[in-house]
Amino acid sequence: MAELGDVENEFLCNELEQYVEEEVEKQRMVDLYAAISLSMQAIAAAIIDGRHHDVDRMTREALDKDVQALEVMDDGLIAGMALVGIKFRDNFIFVPEVLACARAMKAGMAHIEPILSASGIDPVGKVIMGTVKGDLHDIGKNLCIMMLRGSGFQVIDLGVDTSPDDFIGAVEEHGANLVGMSALLTTTMPNMGRTIEAFIDADLRDDVKFMVGGAPVTEEFAEELGADAYGADAVECVEVAKRLTAESASVHP
Amino acid sequence: MKHRKSQKGRKPINRADYEECLARLSDVLRDIATHADEQALLRCPYKNRFDRCTAQFACGYKRARQTPEGLPCCASDDHLDYRTAWETDPASVDVMRSQLSSTCENAGTVSCDGRSCEAITGKTIFHHADELDVQVPTSCGRMGTCHECIVEIRSGADALASRTDAEAFLGDAYRLACQAVIEDAGKRIGFELLRRTPKILIAQEYRCIELEPMVTRQDDKVYYGEEELDTYRGQLYGVALDVGTTTMVLELVDLETGRSRYVESFENPQRFGGSDIMTRISYDGGHYNGELHTAIVNTFNTVLRGICKRVGISRHDIYEILVVGNTTMRELFFGLDVQSIGQKPYRSKIEQEYLNGARKTTSLRESARKLRLLANRNAVVFGVPIIASHVGGDIASDLVAIDMAASTEPVMLVDVGTNTEVVLGHSGRLMAASCPAGPAFEGGLVRYGMPGCVGAIESVRWRGGKFDYETIGGVAPEGICGSGLIDLLAELRRTELMTPKGVFRNKAKEIEVAAEHGVTLSRRDASELAQAKAANFCGQAILMRQFGVSPSEISKLYLSGGFANYVSVSSAVEIGFLAPVAEDRVVKIGNGAAQGARELLLSRKKRETIGELVKQIEHVELETTPDFFEVFVEGCQFKPMDWNSLQ
Repeated sequence: MAELGDVENEFLCNELEQYVEEEVEKQRMVDLYAAISLSMQAIAAAIIDGRHHDVDRMTREALDKDVQALEVMDDGLIAGMALVGIKFRDNFIFVPEVLACARAMKAGMAHIEPILSASGIDPVGKVIMGTVKGDLHDIGKNLCIMMLRGSGFQVIDLGVDTSPDDFIGAVEEHGANLVGMSALLTTTMPNMGRTIEAFIDADLRDDVKFMVGGAPVTEEFAEELGADAYGADAVECVEVAKRLTAESASVHP
Repeated sequence: MKHRKSQKGRKPINRADYEECLARLSDVLRDIATHADEQALLRCPYKNRFDRCTAQFACGYKRARQTPEGLPCCASDDHLDYRTAWETDPASVDVMRSQLSSTCENAGTVSCDGRSCEAITGKTIFHHADELDVQVPTSCGRMGTCHECIVEIRSGADALASRTDAEAFLGDAYRLACQAVIEDAGKRIGFELLRRTPKILIAQEYRCIELEPMVTRQDDKVYYGEEELDTYRGQLYGVALDVGTTTMVLELVDLETGRSRYVESFENPQRFGGSDIMTRISYDGGHYNGELHTAIVNTFNTVLRGICKRVGISRHDIYEILVVGNTTMRELFFGLDVQSIGQKPYRSKIEQEYLNGARKTTSLRESARKLRLLANRNAVVFGVPIIASHVGGDIASDLVAIDMAASTEPVMLVDVGTNTEVVLGHSGRLMAASCPAGPAFEGGLVRYGMPGCVGAIESVRWRGGKFDYETIGGVAPEGICGSGLIDLLAELRRTELMTPKGVFRNKAKEIEVAAEHGVTLSRRDASELAQAKAANFCGQAILMRQFGVSPSEISKLYLSGGFANYVSVSSAVEIGFLAPVAEDRVVKIGNGAAQGARELLLSRKKRETIGELVKQIEHVELETTPDFFEVFVEGCQFKPMDWNSLQ
């Protein structure tokens, strides 16, 4: 069993002391951080602090020094996100902070992806994600993207206020066959249908599957506007994405 | 850049290792996403840890930036749906609201035992009980077959999906926790377990009795009387079980030392079949015949399994289960037909067989295996003989506890309960009667009545223009239990806030008992209590008259059962609940039936003695007394028993 003093990174030490209250959990985290190298501790700390530029730089440096890609993922990125999860659960931080951490994690993953493809490991699937035209709400969509990326998907995030043309352009550019649309307003919900119609007009409807979500969206509404699937939350979004990817793989082998 | 290695130079990633790594990441993220979802019901997700707004869109709660480069403040207090303030088309607000209302402002709850959690559509009551850390008994893996997880829905029953086939046998307010699914998560649902553990007096000091159990060890063999049961496994245990209509007491006894190893009291799980004996009988005669028996056997096994674990013995060490109970409870435990007890002349089949000479005794013997009871495979289940009609083995057991067979002067035993039983006499002559008092003093029929559980008002005094009270457990009052009701009625009489006929002063409809907690007593409650009290009164008065003794000639009045141990004798005498016997002659014996059961388990001699004694007891049918109705009406009044007027 390690002690708090065994965690050399000062930032991590402070974080553990300040935010992890439960003894057993604290010990588990101390053991985790004490066992990883100093450079990995630094990456974990940068993740927790949401410093994506630092994560980007340190991950690159570590890989250059022949640290194994999966070690970076496990000891740096995941170890950092584990504490983010605890702080979030105990209400020390909130969704905006969590998303900043997720962005930092993505900066690290960006260096691992090329190694994955060089090793012959393709992403689980490729998803275009965006909030529809006229809508500026992005938190639900961002949580979905975080989950998708964490499950091995390659995600192209088109952000908010995405026009049907932007969606079509992204599908063509990236060769994706899955599109996720989000809307939070009842007034913008119909734009999901308009986007799908635009795909029909462009003769691209059969090449892609649509999944939709957002607070006012329901299963029935999804069906009505001609989407292929509906996801109630970020966790379900991953399940739906996996299912649709498998379906289109069987259609377009 | 010249040091930078090409991708090709890096070590490839093993697919299986990567997938494991990904699974770990997904686990971490899934917890985050799930928590985000839950939190979104209470707090705007765009609001950061410093309560600043990070949203890119306009919102009614956004307040001026404190510094030019800083984020705006959020003025939402999180009590209202924050989403309605977001920039949106005015007409859509209502639509949004109605869609969000079920998950936001009106978030429903599920509560039990003072704890509550958020209601989730599509999940069962059992799931919510887990959330609340409330232990619901089950042994079928929540499939709806063991019928152990019966709960009483106290509120919000309409928020549950309609009952499944597995629940068809249950009455209105009862559901199986594993089957009842929440359909409308916007309601408040309250439920209660059937097996709350009531406060029951368990005798702390045992009488020393000669150790002579039926189960004995001779060398390496275990015998029941002369029969060989098993090879000795290192210990001999027996169970004494008192099956009350409302409460059960299970005691695990070491048959080699006579020492009690564990006592547990719990609610009789048959409440879904009605709270009194007559409703249980008619329930058992209906479509769901056998359910009451199943419920009690399963509960017995669950409780005993827990005890064995705690004490550290095996079920195979248990060789005898001795059962005492009123006639109906005993027969239901043995899985016998009880219909004849519900109709004149109110005799069980066993009693009929005894009376027409087909059997020598009303005691019962069955194998534990046949009744599916948790015990050694050759264990014996013994049912203590009943006295007559409703007066069952529990009263016989009481008589063991007070050593009735040795008394030479007239004594009276009053076993207070849903059915109050009275036995009067001495070793030479004994009379018994059963009085159907109903559950008014035990939590039924009275609006704020409750069993003697934590939160019940157990004693009441009128002081300084209001009621002073004490609750069990010293917590805020939820209702009043039997002893509290008797005190309350006596105080209402002493202060003349109520007439003997139960009319409140100034024709008030109700009296506030604990005003700050909304506990009251209504006229109707008083009338229910008057009738229950009258049943107790009739039993004592008629028996004394038939036997030919006056209250002053009674050398001992033994009070047994349920709440009797907590009752203030002076209050009980003042309202005529008890005969006017001098207080120093009143002996509270606690749960006499449980005590007697333990002694019967340990002594063959006592078993023989009581077997003979019950045969001599004259059973008096109160309703056949010519002036029964007059005595009953007299008994309905809240005043001391006037012996002279009864002559």
